[in-house]
Amino acid sequence: MSNLKGKIAFVGIGEIPTGRYPEAGAISYAIESAKMAIRDAGINKEDIDYVLPTAALFSPAFNTELVTCRVVEELGLKNVKRNAQIFAGGSSSTCALEIAASLINSGGASTVLFVHADKLGTGVSLQGGIDLFSTAGISSEWEVPYGQHYSAIAALATNRYKYETGTTDEELASICVSNRKWAELNPNAFFRKPLTIEEVMASKMLSTPLRAKMSNMLFDGGAAFIVTSAERARDITDRPVYLLGEGGTVTHFVYSQEPDVSRFGWAKAGKMAFEMAGITPREIDVAEIYDSYPIYQLIGFEELGFAERGQGGKMFINGDTWPGGKIPCTTNGGMLSQGHTGAGGAVALMVETVRQLMGKAGDRQVKNARFALETATGGTYMDAQVTILGTEIP
Amino acid sequence: MDKPKKPSPVVNPWVKPFWEAAREGRLVYQRCRSCGTNIFYPRIACISCFSDDLEWVQSSGKGTVYSYTVVESNCPSAFVDDMPYVIAIVKLQEKGVQMLSNIVGCDPVDVRCDMPVEVVFEKLNDDITLPKFRPVALK
Repeated sequence: MSNLKGKIAFVGIGEIPTGRYPEAGAISYAIESAKMAIRDAGINKEDIDYVLPTAALFSPAFNTELVTCRVVEELGLKNVKRNAQIFAGGSSSTCALEIAASLINSGGASTVLFVHADKLGTGVSLQGGIDLFSTAGISSEWEVPYGQHYSAIAALATNRYKYETGTTDEELASICVSNRKWAELNPNAFFRKPLTIEEVMASKMLSTPLRAKMSNMLFDGGAAFIVTSAERARDITDRPVYLLGEGGTVTHFVYSQEPDVSRFGWAKAGKMAFEMAGITPREIDVAEIYDSYPIYQLIGFEELGFAERGQGGKMFINGDTWPGGKIPCTTNGGMLSQGHTGAGGAVALMVETVRQLMGKAGDRQVKNARFALETATGGTYMDAQVTILGTEIP
Repeated sequence: MDKPKKPSPVVNPWVKPFWEAAREGRLVYQRCRSCGTNIFYPRIACISCFSDDLEWVQSSGKGTVYSYTVVESNCPSAFVDDMPYVIAIVKLQEKGVQMLSNIVGCDPVDVRCDMPVEVVFEKLNDDITLPKFRPVALK
């Protein structure tokens, strides 16, 4: 078990609204988000000694700029020891957090800025986006020749899960509805109009039983966070958000080699994170579960102990996960409603987790949120990453 | 826009015997001579003991559908004319051997989880013949 519990804390977050910005270069999303995070933390920008940009997928040239220190120069940072890209697909934010935490705890870094920016909404053509995401991370040896793509991958998990649990399509659709109820309250979300189960069920069939409104859409976006030692965080702010627990497990590269597409590695990763944090699911006030498709959110929700297997869907239907419900889930609206920005899907979710614990979530603030759990996964759901954060150290 | 050609699998040198066998209508996998572990997809070394003393073994070609989906829209452009088509994860009878494939030779709506299937071979191009699966006829 890692010894990082309570040793580091978030002190600042920044995020631009997820959207379509054809005119603005992607660097502006990174700079805007980073500036917001620095101002939010109330620190001197020269306190930042490490910058960890994650990857942008829309353009190899732009990504190279992130690798070669453009963010440091654009922000005029003078005391940065190292700028290094941390990229693990959808798990990038979690991986960067754990690396930053270890660096800070060992004394190798003092104040770390993580930043994401991508332009998948307007920086690639619609067909280009489909082609990128029909092959990125999918095995060109064993799966691409059979017409494999991301909707089908989610559908394969959905059908096996339905077969084993008896969960209905309406229950799966209710996850999209639950996320939308949160997005209605989130000014940074792209889809904010109310959504009904009937509308989800009437949308175009993609890969059975997955429908168009059960699928995420790609947008432009950017987000950033700043972490430092717990000690320093207490000097900077009266509401540091501590890292309490973390767990992770890598389960596959080729999707068809995953041992259990109706569970993945969440139970193992969750056990590690809860043991480290010293709390149980019952004490979690907010469950920020990675979606991208409803099936992953439902599986994560159940495997991490917020519902019995096969019973989670009922909680999404009856409002337990909605604003005001007993276990608020994915309170930014997730990728299904805030929008998918590449590696940014789980960056947005991590920023939202911190935002809720800092008490800065506006109309969707979960009252008295003390402990929150956040998940992330990358590629074809190749791994399960669980982070537990809190405003106090239990 | 011209319809792109069907993607042909990238073939690494150590995988060539798999595709040679498929051209001859045989589905093969690797077995480690040191520890006996079944290995699929083909590797350079055993996934259990790292031995590179691996042998090729012929599969029964029989298995079950672990999961499936019928692709009805928004597929990769090279597959547009195939829709609706079935993508499935098939678990072969041989322990630890499972693969992605297509279910053919039946109405897509008839595919179910845990349904028994058997391998058939479909030529993709001069180099590649893809193993696919069809339902085993009920006796």
